[in-house]
Amino acid sequence: MFKLTSNPIMGSSNIRDILTSFSPSLDYFAICAGDARIKIWDTLKGQVQTEFADIASTETTSFYSNKPERGHLSVDYTCMKWLALDKKKKRKLGSSLLVLGTGSGDVLALDVAAGQLKWRISDCHPGGVSAVSFATHGSCIYSAGADGMICEIDSLAGNLLGKFRGSTNGISCMAVSPDGKMLATAAGQLKTFNCSDHKKIQKFSGHPGAVRFMMFTEDGKYILSSAVGERCIALWRTDGGKRQSASCVLAMEHPAVFIDGRCIDSGEVDDAGLYVLAISETGVCYFWYGKNIDELRNTKPTKISISSEGIISQNQKGAFPAIFAAKLQGISKPASAHAFVVHGLLIKPSFQKILVHSGTDITLHSSQDGVLLPMSQSVIKSKKGLDLQNRVTALDRAYAEDAVLPLPKILDVHEKKNRHQTLITDPGEVMADSLDSKIQAKFVESKDDTVEVEADSAMVCMEDRLRSLGILSGKDDPRLNLACKSTLFNDIDLEANMPEKKMRAAVLSMSPSNACELLEVLVNMWQSRSDRGKHNLHWIYSILVNHSHHVLSQKSLNPMLNSLYKITKSREVAFQPLLQLSGRLQLIMAQIDKATDDKIQIPSHDDQIDESEDEDEDVEELLYGEVDNESQISSDEDD
Amino acid sequence: MIRGGRSHVSSPPAFSNDAKRLLVCTGNTVSIFSTSTGLQIKSLEGHAAEVTTVTVEPAASKVLCYCWTASLDGSIKYWDFSVPELLKTVDIKLPIFSMVIPSLLGQPTERNEKQHNIFAYVSVEDTRETTNPRKKKQPKPKPKPLSGRICKCNLTESRLAGGVTLAEMKVPQVITISPSGKYFGIRKHHKLLIWKVPDVESERMVMRKITLHHTKKMTVLAFHPTQRIVAAGDVTGRILIWRRFGDKTFAVSDGLVDGNLMSSEEERPGVRDNDDADSCTTWHWHPSQVNVLNFSSDGAYLYSGGQEGVLVVWQLDTGKKKFLPRIGSPLLYFTFSPDPSLSSVSLQMSSADNQIHLLKMPSMEILKSISGIKLPCSVPEGYEALCRGIAFDQSAGLVALHTGNYCIQFYSLLDDRGISEVQVCERNHQPGDDVTVVVTLVALSQDGSMMSTAELKIAEEGIGGLVCLKFWASGSQNKEFSLSTVIYEPHRNSQLWLLWYRDAGISAIAFHPTRRVAVSSSYAGDFKVWICHDEFQQKDPMLQNSGWSCHAVGSYKYGSSFIFSCGAVNYISPCRKKAMTAAAFSADGSVLAVAAETLITLWDPDENVLVAVIGETLAPIMSLSFVGKSEYLVATSRGSKPQLSVWSMSKLSASWSYMLQIEAVATAVDASSFAVLALLPESPKCKELNGTVFQGRDGVILLFNATDPVPVASWSVRKAKGGFLAFLQVNPSSIQEYISDGKPPQTLLAYMNADHEYVLFDPYGEETHELSVIHREDLLASEESGHYGYASIYGELPEFQLKKNQATWTPSAPSEKPWETIFNWFIT
Repeated sequence: MFKLTSNPIMGSSNIRDILTSFSPSLDYFAICAGDARIKIWDTLKGQVQTEFADIASTETTSFYSNKPERGHLSVDYTCMKWLALDKKKKRKLGSSLLVLGTGSGDVLALDVAAGQLKWRISDCHPGGVSAVSFATHGSCIYSAGADGMICEIDSLAGNLLGKFRGSTNGISCMAVSPDGKMLATAAGQLKTFNCSDHKKIQKFSGHPGAVRFMMFTEDGKYILSSAVGERCIALWRTDGGKRQSASCVLAMEHPAVFIDGRCIDSGEVDDAGLYVLAISETGVCYFWYGKNIDELRNTKPTKISISSEGIISQNQKGAFPAIFAAKLQGISKPASAHAFVVHGLLIKPSFQKILVHSGTDITLHSSQDGVLLPMSQSVIKSKKGLDLQNRVTALDRAYAEDAVLPLPKILDVHEKKNRHQTLITDPGEVMADSLDSKIQAKFVESKDDTVEVEADSAMVCMEDRLRSLGILSGKDDPRLNLACKSTLFNDIDLEANMPEKKMRAAVLSMSPSNACELLEVLVNMWQSRSDRGKHNLHWIYSILVNHSHHVLSQKSLNPMLNSLYKITKSREVAFQPLLQLSGRLQLIMAQIDKATDDKIQIPSHDDQIDESEDEDEDVEELLYGEVDNESQISSDEDD
Repeated sequence: MIRGGRSHVSSPPAFSNDAKRLLVCTGNTVSIFSTSTGLQIKSLEGHAAEVTTVTVEPAASKVLCYCWTASLDGSIKYWDFSVPELLKTVDIKLPIFSMVIPSLLGQPTERNEKQHNIFAYVSVEDTRETTNPRKKKQPKPKPKPLSGRICKCNLTESRLAGGVTLAEMKVPQVITISPSGKYFGIRKHHKLLIWKVPDVESERMVMRKITLHHTKKMTVLAFHPTQRIVAAGDVTGRILIWRRFGDKTFAVSDGLVDGNLMSSEEERPGVRDNDDADSCTTWHWHPSQVNVLNFSSDGAYLYSGGQEGVLVVWQLDTGKKKFLPRIGSPLLYFTFSPDPSLSSVSLQMSSADNQIHLLKMPSMEILKSISGIKLPCSVPEGYEALCRGIAFDQSAGLVALHTGNYCIQFYSLLDDRGISEVQVCERNHQPGDDVTVVVTLVALSQDGSMMSTAELKIAEEGIGGLVCLKFWASGSQNKEFSLSTVIYEPHRNSQLWLLWYRDAGISAIAFHPTRRVAVSSSYAGDFKVWICHDEFQQKDPMLQNSGWSCHAVGSYKYGSSFIFSCGAVNYISPCRKKAMTAAAFSADGSVLAVAAETLITLWDPDENVLVAVIGETLAPIMSLSFVGKSEYLVATSRGSKPQLSVWSMSKLSASWSYMLQIEAVATAVDASSFAVLALLPESPKCKELNGTVFQGRDGVILLFNATDPVPVASWSVRKAKGGFLAFLQVNPSSIQEYISDGKPPQTLLAYMNADHEYVLFDPYGEETHELSVIHREDLLASEESGHYGYASIYGELPEFQLKKNQATWTPSAPSEKPWETIFNWFIT
């Protein structure tokens, strides 16, 4: 699309000779580097939109035939600014002009969209134009030159409207306030003028050298200026007395070539403050923020620079990345601002919107895409390309192996439920069992619920699955209580067979209230037929013995103790017959053994027969589910 | 209000006399571009419908800039486009599809007489019941068989020339005029009709006409600038050249004294039947339809271009060829620059992907390109439903849309400019080839730094189909995306591929609002949560290996209501799984909603735990979206039982629903309102009503507050089928310039129609101001008619019934007449 040309600033190590300008709506960017070729970049695409090589000379041949023909190299642009003509149609390029001043004293305006010279004033300032400026949406342009005069030009037609003397010496810089009422010139010292009657308002002294850049803040209250060779930016107050010195000086490491500032005074208190952005000769951007002048004076600048990695070798003359232009776009929150930055290499700048926060330095990485590089660098470049290629990860069928699998769940579906009702929701109903594997999972089927269990893949072992399977129950499950409580007593293994002494020590080490809680849990466990009472009873006994005082004092425990007593009594009644039964059974079993010569061991027995039966059933069912394909189950019960 | 995305290639463009400007028909306006910079300078605004013809008045002086435009709104306008200023309007009240003005092309010296009438020949579509009192045409039952006709129009007196209808045809055709202005012609199926323009025009002049026949349907024709040669292209790619056409018919009036006239009677090679031509030669190079034919200004060369995107230059005498290949898309128009004084003749060429190339001749090098938004690309039959290839970057105001050449174009809606293109599939695009790969989905993360695309290689006879999911990472600020991870067959299970015939196509991709996590759901019945690895490796800058991997999988099985894991080892027949048709993350990212056909399953994306199931809708859900930070979820389903339903997350139940055919849903990031694009029903009565009330608009944008079934605002739109909606967050400083008064809005609603034309407006703006603006415009217009129209709708639309829901929360909308409810509220 565009030709890559040799770097026009070959050998120079700073950006002070480069003229840059943003279009009013920041979507285009004009850059001109010494050889009078103006390139218009599309900031969105990052591409050259168009290039004006020798527009001044070609246009003069057709429209101003008396002028001698000259090549573009003979034109020397000294200043460039992009002016919006119409406030409302700001985004339409047709209503904006690129105003240029030349070293030979001409002022010309380009219609960028049409690619035509709009107008030209020849020999406006003998000795060269030093600055052009205009109010935000004003209809007239001011130009200043080495002859010390200031010209007022009609921006539409290019007619010279007026001329007045701004200084006896040559003017080095000039700026117009955004409202168009005030004009500031600098020729060693700063002066402000009233635009309507051209009378001097103020005089500021402090710049010994020629001022290179000067601007008004948006509200017109401050002027920011920087001079050749001075490593600072001066801030001047326009509403003060007749003669003033700088109200604030911001120091930099290199002289500034470009400044942008914004002052938000009233309105939202949060945003209030002064924001100053400057670019030094070496292409480093500085940012200051202060709530007021005093704070601004004391702040350290925030630096935005190009990373040194991008600079491949210093001996490549000219091709050094820098920040060329920047613009404050808006204030997002106090002390930070959006800045639109143009950086990289001059032949292929990058455009980036960044958020600058005061106090946080930013390093930008310049990309070398689209830049023709010398041979030595192309090797590195190609390596980079390889890296890029390598970074692509390709996944095929094996990719999902370490993926998290969903926790399987059983949901109850009420078939009769209406369509719009929530099918199932309460996570409290579906609980994961986190107890040890000794407690076997149990499936309780409620009457109107259809519950299915689908065992999963064969890879998962049964124990894990059982552990993770939820239990559906309408009632509160005491084991869940224990599950939560067990964290409290995690150093005690309730299931283990402990010697009495140890048990006593453990119980004594508990606080009385904890012991009471444990007591409750244990009683609950024992009452529900789900648990073996073998060790429980020992624990209960131990607690009652060792914490008797506390238990007595707790009225709330009375009903529980009552019921415990009743149960104990009732079991006690059954104890004798049970022993008899046990003895009889033992006898019978022994006889059977003898008779069949079988080696079946008598199952160790405790008093909870029902429980073991339950267990057996469960295991059987699960085994069935395991062996057969579970999809069969689902298909059976699907419909 | 911002508009954009206009097509540059709807009609042939025209050069200004100094060749420095190019006039391009862009929707209702004519945009004027600079040929040297490629930037838009001005636009001619005034037509109320699409502009179909722009003709620059030739003048000896380069300074004169006058042009005629004709539009579908039935008017012809005369402009001074240097200012620009409207000078004259001729209203003929019939939609004009094409217009030629022969007298402009004649010798300028002859037009010195001031009283000379200027006649134009227009190709119009007759929409009147009784067309012409003179013809005494009986009102015919609709649709009319021959609604297209060629008429003569007196531009000086601003009226149609009475009774002159040169031809009638089914659809209006484009009129082509010879460069000398002596002949013009149209193509009518297998025939060319050519008229000779009378030397002295008057209204009642009888026009002489000849007909040339061919065996194929013709697509384009062109006249030789000096000789009586006409060339025509047909659908098979042949180019036919008739020499000395109309010798017999036109000779007398031409005053030609030609001795050969009689002798050539016997041998007329290639000429069919009794066609009035001397000879007919056929050239065949183009493999498919010829779209472009143009003779060079000296008549020595013929330029042709077609569907395959190659420009061919034929030497007329010898038939030798030269090519300009790799243009990349079908050529549509070809225009010469009029300025002979330019050392290099630049000419201009439009191609179908909405680009205009300026060529430098004779080297045929592309100097500049003017490009717009990519036009919707065609998708093979049966895959339209799969393709939802558009995504919005809400914060940056960008839209990502997939193009015909396997690219994703990033287009800035605020600036109306393309930003970049990302090649998604590594394959060459050849226009005219059969499409074998379709980019089905595009998704962008909320900050715009990540993109995900899904593509589908279409199986040929059931073999070779491949689904591919790709994740892209944004390299730098300019939306230069680089491929990060590619996953082949993301949802297909290897062990099962023989057992199962269902499509493993990806139905939706959604990004987590804050983290580098995405979810993809598949019609095969599972969804997968993907996670980007460099989230963990940010501390170690050396490890730049940023790949995505599968974090979790899940599926939902209905009936058995058991959720099972589905990893690489899964032998369960997937046919029992419900197709996952849509997926969305909530605004804070804590809940993942996946639609399992008619049910909505809610998951904890980190733990991969099913939290809840809510449902169900009447038809499979097509899209899901959470309404901002509120607790509501919007689901839409299409099909015979379309539905828009809003679900409350706190109650886990339906809050309210409408039976509307929803094309698109947009939710703002932080507001509690959402907008839907609803299609108007297509019952005959409604169509009739559309003509009066909706003025041809087929869709309505409704803005709802999630808690309230009564819409806050509504706008009716055209070309809603295939349209898109999105809320854009706007940086106030960047938008300031577009808003003339008042404070800039926080959010804009973007509506993009099926042709990728779009409009941005403030949905919460001042109603009166906004609506009046909209009403003037064509693309989007408000409803300002009275109630009378709606009463008749209700009788016709019994299918519109608010679905009752069982939730304890009672909807405040009346149950019977949703449209009435909707409309009564905003007609104020």
